[in-house]
Amino acid sequence: MEPILRFDNVSKHYPNGVHALKGVSFEVAEGEFISVIGPSGSGKSTLLRAINRLIPINGGTVWLDGQAVSAQRGTALRQLRRKVGMIFQNYNLVYSLSVLQNVLHGRLGYMGGLKGVFGLYSEEDKQEGLDLLKELGLEEFAYNRASDLSGGQKQRVGIARAIMQQPKLLLCDEPIASLDPSSAKTIMDLLKSMTQKRNIACIVNLHQLDVALKYSTRIIGLSKGEIVFDGRPEELDDATIERIYGTSRENLMIGGHGNDQADPAHCA
Amino acid sequence: MNAEMVKYASGTAARPARSERTKIPVKCRRRNRFIPAFLAGTAVLSILSLLYLDIDWAKMASRVPDIGLVFWDLFHLDFSNMDLIFSSLVETISIAVLSLLYSLILGILFGMLAARNIFRLPWLSVLTQSFFTFLRAVPTPVWVLLMLVCLGMGPEAGVAGLCVHTTAFFTKSFAQSFESIPDETIEALEVTGASRLSIFVNAVLPAALSQIVAWAGMRLETNFSECAILGMVGAGGVGYVISNSLQGYDYGTAGVAILLVFLVAYSIERLFVRVKKKFY
Amino acid sequence: MTKRIPLIARDLKRLYTGFLLAAVALFLLCSYLTEFNPMVLVANGDAFWEFITEDFLPPALPPASRIPGIFSSVLVTLALAMSATTVAAILAFFVALFGSEKVSPFPRFAKVVRGFATFLRNIPALVWAFILFSSLGIGTGVGFVALCITSFAFMVRAFVETMEDVSQDCVESLQAVGATFPQRVAQAILPSCLSGFLSWFLYCVEVNIRASTIVGMVGGGGVGLTLFSYIKSFHYDIALSIILLIAAMVIVVDQITGKLRKELLK
Repeated sequence: MEPILRFDNVSKHYPNGVHALKGVSFEVAEGEFISVIGPSGSGKSTLLRAINRLIPINGGTVWLDGQAVSAQRGTALRQLRRKVGMIFQNYNLVYSLSVLQNVLHGRLGYMGGLKGVFGLYSEEDKQEGLDLLKELGLEEFAYNRASDLSGGQKQRVGIARAIMQQPKLLLCDEPIASLDPSSAKTIMDLLKSMTQKRNIACIVNLHQLDVALKYSTRIIGLSKGEIVFDGRPEELDDATIERIYGTSRENLMIGGHGNDQADPAHCA
Repeated sequence: MNAEMVKYASGTAARPARSERTKIPVKCRRRNRFIPAFLAGTAVLSILSLLYLDIDWAKMASRVPDIGLVFWDLFHLDFSNMDLIFSSLVETISIAVLSLLYSLILGILFGMLAARNIFRLPWLSVLTQSFFTFLRAVPTPVWVLLMLVCLGMGPEAGVAGLCVHTTAFFTKSFAQSFESIPDETIEALEVTGASRLSIFVNAVLPAALSQIVAWAGMRLETNFSECAILGMVGAGGVGYVISNSLQGYDYGTAGVAILLVFLVAYSIERLFVRVKKKFY
Repeated sequence: MTKRIPLIARDLKRLYTGFLLAAVALFLLCSYLTEFNPMVLVANGDAFWEFITEDFLPPALPPASRIPGIFSSVLVTLALAMSATTVAAILAFFVALFGSEKVSPFPRFAKVVRGFATFLRNIPALVWAFILFSSLGIGTGVGFVALCITSFAFMVRAFVETMEDVSQDCVESLQAVGATFPQRVAQAILPSCLSGFLSWFLYCVEVNIRASTIVGMVGGGGVGLTLFSYIKSFHYDIALSIILLIAAMVIVVDQITGKLRKELLK
């Protein structure tokens, strides 16, 4: 089967001399749930943003759904981008708008001309937005201002906005880093169930090793811009963890236990 | 603290004789030395300025009683020219409102071009910003005078002249408001594949709306008082009535007109305070 | 589907619609009252461009003998703005102390003080200039007093607001200590509000540079008067040079005050 996403020897260095990605190669198939782990500054965020060209790369090729991302410009790039949903650590909603308007922003990529500019959404899109909000348990908030919501609710709106795009791939940049443990669990459960139901591949940047182990079908470990591990969660042994983080597994778990589900504590 | 003081503080030594003590400082060691320098500089500059202006204070002082007379005359309100005053006041208010509304639209358009985060074209931002900085630096009456020359007498010159300065002001302040929208919010819409223009209308504009309202309210006050003085440099409106009747020693009419200008300006200020309270 | 799905809450939508309708109504009313038609501007476009390209451009230098005079008139404008703002600031500081209920030793009169300032402020500087011209005669001194009045009134309001924002608590604590009114001013209000006051002072300098140009136009002297005389005598190309000079002056002053303000608030 043709992979959704293929990284072919991708590298990125910033003007300040930092090599964020060094010859990274991997493939993503439909329906995979991949966690990217690694210490701060290991290139996780760059990797994610290289996929939809929020950050242009310097070498190699990113293939998205059979097209080279770096070759696209203007309208073609925008059409490619709408195949990729994205969820952010700080939700990045427009807080002065209603929740429904924020969700419908996901359709803007499909709307040409003045309709898109003035946000004249079709009734079908609006209905779909309302249905999505219902699925996420937010139907009663549809007409509230986005600023009225709690952190976990805001992130659910972020998920709805990304799903509205009908993406083939969902990128999540530290989706639970600003949330309390119970909201974090809700968000991860929702991400997992919604992407599986729609057969969307999902790539999640995570700081929390235990969360990655629990939810992913596959884990990619990054260290200093290079992939040092790529495999199933069961295959991730203590020696590899030490190679990724440069410290032993015990030091990463604040609570001291490895796979404790009740304790999704933040790791270093 | 020196050893002597420690001893004193802990009560082990007798209170030292007054002559032995040095002055104990009470102020912070690292003070902002800028403020004293600034104050001194301002004082020197102002005194030099006053000397340079060489105002004949004695002559002015000798005429001070005249001020009392003028005010006495102004307070003898003369309502016989009410029609003229009222229609000119309405014209002035209309010109202020119209120039505000036109500039609001123009300001949003140019502000969009001047903000660095909308189209991401640095040359466009720099070009727009510097052009409007120039327009803003020249006082409004100058623009109105020039518009009077090329458009002739009438409200057109007033509206167009006021629009120049107001648009320039809005362009700068709206661009500032647009740029204060976090880049991440724009990024989030970029990844949906939305075009730059639709990102602007759907995300940036609504997020900046409350600031736009605040700027517009602030500007209405300025526009009204600018508009009220335009008549004095030759355009129509209530300013013309004031300057004309003052020069013709018709103080009663001038008094009524000035009073009305004050009342309108004051109610705009109060209205704006109310709106502001409701908005935040 | 027959019923349209709304995007925002109904009361919010009503508010926005009301706002928009009011704006449109106001626009139509004002356009009707002034008989202003933007099409006139478009129709006059040719004449407009002709004026700009033929009368206005390129900027021409005034006769060489006039140049020193023009520069000294710029200096007059600058000096007028600077001295008027300083004098107004000093007066405003003392008056503002009595304009805040929390600071003033006579809280009952605070409203009177503020009302007086509001009255002075809401009459434009140029109107003051005209009133004074008719009693004191035309001249730089009158321009000085007119500028003083409006910036004084503006700063009283700004200073009172600054004091109420900043020093409420420390004034209270000094009151508890039993400090007298002058002690409270010198030990609590001045240290905590001075940089705020000075920041408003700088803003007033900026405003007054423009205002002194305008007051100059009607008889206060300075570069405004020079510009006015060139426009009245149809020397538009020379007028443009002076406009550029005024713009340069204003931009330079704005840059300097901007730098100073940053330094102040450090």
